[in-house]
Order: sequence, then structure tokens, then C-alpha cells
Amino acid sequence: MKVIELKKVEKIYNDSEVKVHAVRGIDLEFEEGEFAAIVGPSGSGKTTLLNMLGGLDKPTVGDIYIGGTHINDLSGSKLIDFRLFNIGFVFQSYNLIPVLTAKENVEFIMQMQGISQEERYQRTKALLEEVGLGDRLDSRPKQLSGGQQQRVAVARALASKPKFVLADEPTANLDSKSTENLLEIMEKLNKEENITFIFSTHDQRVVKKARRVITVEDGKVLSDERK
Amino acid sequence: MILSIGWKNVWRNKTRSMVVIVAVMLGIFGGVMASGIMKGWIAQRIHASIYNEISHVQIHNPEFMLNEDMNLTIENAEQILNVLDTIPEVVAYSPRVKLFAMVKSDWSTSGLYVKGVDRDKEIEVSEIYKHLLEGDFLEGKHRIPSIVIGSDAAKALKLLNYQVTPEKIDSLNVEEYPVEIISKLGDIGDKRFRKEKDFREALTENLTKHEYKEYGDKLVEYFSFYRLGAKLELTLQDTSGQIINPVFKIRGIYKTSNTMFDGLTAFVDRQKLNTYTKLGENDIHEIAIISTGNDEGKELGITLEEYFAGSSVMGWDKISPEIAMYTQFTSLMGIIFVGIILFALAFGIINTMLMSVLERVKELGMLMAIGMNRKRVFYMIMAESIFLTITGAIAGMIFSGIILEITGRTGINFNMYAEGFEALGYSSVVYPTVSWFDYISIIILVIITGIISSIWPARKALKLNPVEALRTD
Ligand SMILES: Nc1ncnc2c1ncn2[C@@H]1O[C@H](COP(=O)(O)OP(=O)(O)O)[C@@H](O)[C@H]1O
Ligand SMILES: [Mg+2]
Repeated sequence: MKVIELKKVEKIYNDSEVKVHAVRGIDLEFEEGEFAAIVGPSGSGKTTLLNMLGGLDKPTVGDIYIGGTHINDLSGSKLIDFRLFNIGFVFQSYNLIPVLTAKENVEFIMQMQGISQEERYQRTKALLEEVGLGDRLDSRPKQLSGGQQQRVAVARALASKPKFVLADEPTANLDSKSTENLLEIMEKLNKEENITFIFSTHDQRVVKKARRVITVEDGKVLSDERK
Repeated sequence: MILSIGWKNVWRNKTRSMVVIVAVMLGIFGGVMASGIMKGWIAQRIHASIYNEISHVQIHNPEFMLNEDMNLTIENAEQILNVLDTIPEVVAYSPRVKLFAMVKSDWSTSGLYVKGVDRDKEIEVSEIYKHLLEGDFLEGKHRIPSIVIGSDAAKALKLLNYQVTPEKIDSLNVEEYPVEIISKLGDIGDKRFRKEKDFREALTENLTKHEYKEYGDKLVEYFSFYRLGAKLELTLQDTSGQIINPVFKIRGIYKTSNTMFDGLTAFVDRQKLNTYTKLGENDIHEIAIISTGNDEGKELGITLEEYFAGSSVMGWDKISPEIAMYTQFTSLMGIIFVGIILFALAFGIINTMLMSVLERVKELGMLMAIGMNRKRVFYMIMAESIFLTITGAIAGMIFSGIILEITGRTGINFNMYAEGFEALGYSSVVYPTVSWFDYISIIILVIITGIISSIWPARKALKLNPVEALRTD
């Protein structure tokens, strides 16, 4: 089943004096259960592309369908709600609310979705156990390592039962051991629960784990390989 | 959970939050105290005016108001007094004779209004008898009749004297004064000074500059005494225009918070005065009436005006319109003061919350990206500032409540500025009074200010674009 469809997507940043053509005509499709990496040097347009995949930004030209919804048409609060119910996000940093515990950070997104307390509690516990943090439910982000924080972010991203998870350079701030650990967890979730992951990276060790590698450069897709 | 996040965010930057909380607290404290002091002041001023000087209602012969001729007594006075006896709103009344006289002591002369009063009735109307520094208020029968004068009149008549008597030196508190001073005071000798200035000169001659600065005022007060029992010779006219010179003995000295009144008003027995001046037993110039309360007093004035159309009847608000004006003026001052406090508070809260929003741009961007809608972001920021304000408000309520409780009992002493205040008729010790209405309105105003001033920072948060906010470089 197709979860995302990009048709002739272009993005031009117009807000500063110089126009930046960050994405120059990309056609892409993502299927359910994919474990895809978007790779490319800094400035090649990975973040811009992921932002559009996640409904955070809109294409200047072209169409984007997420789960069949033409998100070009959504605006304002509708788009925010669409993200809440359909997409999981893991960012490079600033993923968690510092004043909340790991458990509360995961619960919070489900509360916004209006899920009952009972279900929230069960799910939070299960998810944090799955990412190996069953014993850190009540820790604040500050008390967790960078890798642990990213694992909470993954649990948080999954809590809302999204159609897919987007991760923009999730390992950029991690050491190699944490990187490996995070990737293992993502892989496991992908294999065992068929969670769709789309992540960007410029780390070759991360690229190796991906089953599909989309290489972008200068706002264009250079290659799209499946293993 | 949004409320809980808001509450937790309050404690994120503890110092900054404490600054705002303390600001809110001080804002409430300042507002409550400012309005409390002003209200207390006014209430005391009105109370003092009414119970020492003017009463709630005064009745005169209308012509006496224009020309204080002693023959202009109240017509049908007896009848009026009989009617007053039947009116329940009249708590007490005092018939008076009021004359102007030149008053001579052995050392000086001064002009005084002499009020002839019936002691037992007068003490139900005026509180002068409670403000005696020395002696009593027209008690007992004496061969030479009694006169009660104010402390300022006593000073003017040079009846406040200074003397370093051996007895007073002996009873000086050794713990309060160094031994050298006590021996130096002995050098001044047992001499009587009639002027404060002369006594101070003697002190400066005998004490070092430092000692004088430290103990001078206290010593002047300690060695001063009123010459109770001194005789005063009055010069006034009787009903036929003949000059008479009756002699009275000072048997009481009072001091109110109004130095002008104290310098001008003396009390004697009415019947004695009438005998000297040949006024009839029932001739009076003034009836002073006390009602059940100030507002009732105003109304009683209006009612009595209709009853006694032939006389001049005035409520306290008409006798002393300046007091009503002071009241308005000070409430206006209070409003301006509270306004300034609220303005400063708003500024502080806007600044703090704006800082708090700008500091969290990335976090707020992340929240909006993962699906926190604008309404929730807005509520979260608002909740934060409201918690901040309410915490400060509660602290402020407790703090000002305690301070009010204490100062309401002990009073606040503005002694440093007392001379200026007392010349204006204001007491130097103020007992702040705050009505529940004022107290609660100030707190509500502070909370409203807190809420309103957080709208702008909260809107600022809404304008964030999550994509830009999250850009890590
Ligand atoms: N808001 C923006 N305004 C102008 N130019 C932008 C903006 N965001 C990104 N760019 C530019 O677009 C290009 C692609 O950026 P980005 O998508 O962040 O690449 P990557 O994530 O691969 O490093 C870069 O040249 C970048 O400078
Ligand atoms: Mg990037």
C-alpha cells in the first residue's frame, strides 16, 4: 500500500533576497513497511524534502499525497491535526519537553489525540519497554543520555500510531554505539511491527542498514536503490 | 496535562519566575498598603474632625454664622433640645456657648475661642477628654473655675516650661543615657526655662555636639512640663458690651492631631461663662450633635434642616467640605498609584513571558510540528503566566494580610514628617484600613493585568513557524 506519493515536487525558498531552489522536481513513492534512507551532502535538500513529506512545509510546485490525502489542500489547524494523527516525527534534537518525564513525553501526544488514560498508560509502558527504557519511565530528559533521549523520541513518534515515522538525521548528535543501538531498535520495530521509517542521514554506517537508499544532490534524486 | 506543563514550565527558570512572583507580590502589597494608608488616613482624619472638632451636625442662629456676635443665640433653643431628645438618630448632643477672647498668662497673650460647655453632655459628643496630656476635663467644683486648653495654646502662652529638677535627674533611665550626660545635666542647674529655644541653648552649652544630636530631642521632651494650675485672665465683652476680665485656672491640657485647633480652642463650664457674660441660663450659640455613624450624620443633617427651618443646620460634610474633597482626592491618588503599579507589573510580565517564549522557540516549534495546535500552545503559555500571577497574588495576599494585621494594630508612624502632617490636621500615626472590597479588587486587578499582559507573548508563540523554529543551524 502506498503511504506517500510525490509528484513533480519543487521547492523554492523565496523569503530572502536570493531565491533558493532547494528541491528541483522529485517524483517519489513510499510503500508501507519501508525502511528508507535519504542520503546526500549537507545542503542537498534532505530536510526540505522530509519537511514536505511530513506536512510541515508545502511544495512550491507539484503534489503530495499522504495516505491518499492531498496535503497541498490542508491548511492551518487542519494540517496540524493531520500531522498529529498520521505522522510520527523524530528530530535531530529538541525532541522532548524538558519539564516532563519520559513517560509523560510519550503520553502527552496520545492525550492530544484524546486517547483514554488507561490505554495511554498501557501503551506508554509497552513502547518505552520496547525501546529499552522500561526502567527509565520517570526520568527527565536531562537525566537521560542523548541516545536514550532519541529512543524516547522514537517511542513518542510511535505512540500516536502514525502511518509512518520521519526522522531527520536522528543520529547526527549520537556516538557510534548509541547510533547502532537506535538503528537496531528502529530495524526491529520495522521488521516485527511493520512500522514505516523514512530517515535522512549522511552517515555511511546508517546508510548500510537501510533497505532502500535514495540519494539526493542539489535538490534532485540521483539514485533510488532497493536492497 | 497542558495545565500541568504550564505549571512545570513556571519552575523552569526559577530565578526569573521568582522575580515575577515577587513583583506581583509587591504589586499587591504596594497597592493594598497605599490604598490602606490613604483610606486609614482619611478615616482617621474624618473621625478626628468629627469627634474632636465639628461633630455630625451643628445648629446655630443663622446670623451667628455670618457674624459671631455673642447676642446671636439660637432661637427657641429649649424647644430644639426637647425635639432632639425624641429623635433616635441623635445619639448625643451638647449645647455650647462660643466666644472669642484674648487670653493672658503671666508671660504671654493669645486669642482663643472659648467654648462654654456642659461637661457631662460635652464628653458624649467630643473626644477631647480622651486627648488630655495633663489634668482633667472640667471635673469637680472650684473657687476659681477651670479652663482646658490645647498644647499649642499652652506653648503660645509660654506655659510649656523646661526644668532640670534633681528629682527628674534621679529618675532618668541610666540604661538609656550615658553617665557623663547625667552629670553634665546637673551643671545646667535647677533653673526654669519658658522657651524651648532657651532650654536647647543651655543643652548645647553643656553637652558635646554629638551628645546633643543624639539625646537633645529626648531630653527636651523629658524635662518639659506644662504649668498646670497657672491662671489665665480672659478679656471679653459681656452682653451689654462691657469689657470683663474673668480669671480661670488651667486644669487640663489636650493635644489632638490638629495643631491649629489645639492652638485656638479652650473649654470652660457654660454656666460659669454665662454668669460672667450675663448670658441667660439657656442661651446657647451652638448645638453639636453626634449620630450613629458618619453617613447617618449626613442624613440627619438634612432631616434636621427641615425640622428647624428657623435655624442654621449643617451636616459635617457641609461644615467641612474640604474633608469630603480630601477623600476624593486621596481615592484618586490611590487609583493613580495602583494604576502605576499595575502598569509596571504588566511590563514585567510581558518582558518575562516574552523571554520565556523566545528561549523555547525550538521546543515550541517541535510541539507544533508533532501536532500541538495553536489553541493548545496559546493555553499553555497563558496557563504559565496565570500560574505565575496567581502564585504571586497568593503570596501577596498573605504578605499584605500579615502586614495589615500588624500595622492595623500598631499603626505606622510617620513621625519624621509629623509636623507637616499635624499642621494639616492629619495624625502622624496611621492605621491602614482596607475594606474587603478594596483588597479583593486589587487582587483581581493584578490577576487581570497578569492575564492581559500574557496575551501578547502567547500570540508571539503562535506566530512561530515550526519549520524555521526547528532549523538547527
Ligand atoms: N528557509 C529557507 N530559506 C532559504 N533557503 C533555505 C531555507 N531552508 C533551506 N534553505 C536552503 O535550501 C537548501 C537545502 O537545504 P536543506 O533542505 O536544509 O538541506 P540538507 O538538510 O540536506 O542539509 C540549502 O541550500 C539551504 O541553504
Ligand atoms: Mg538537514
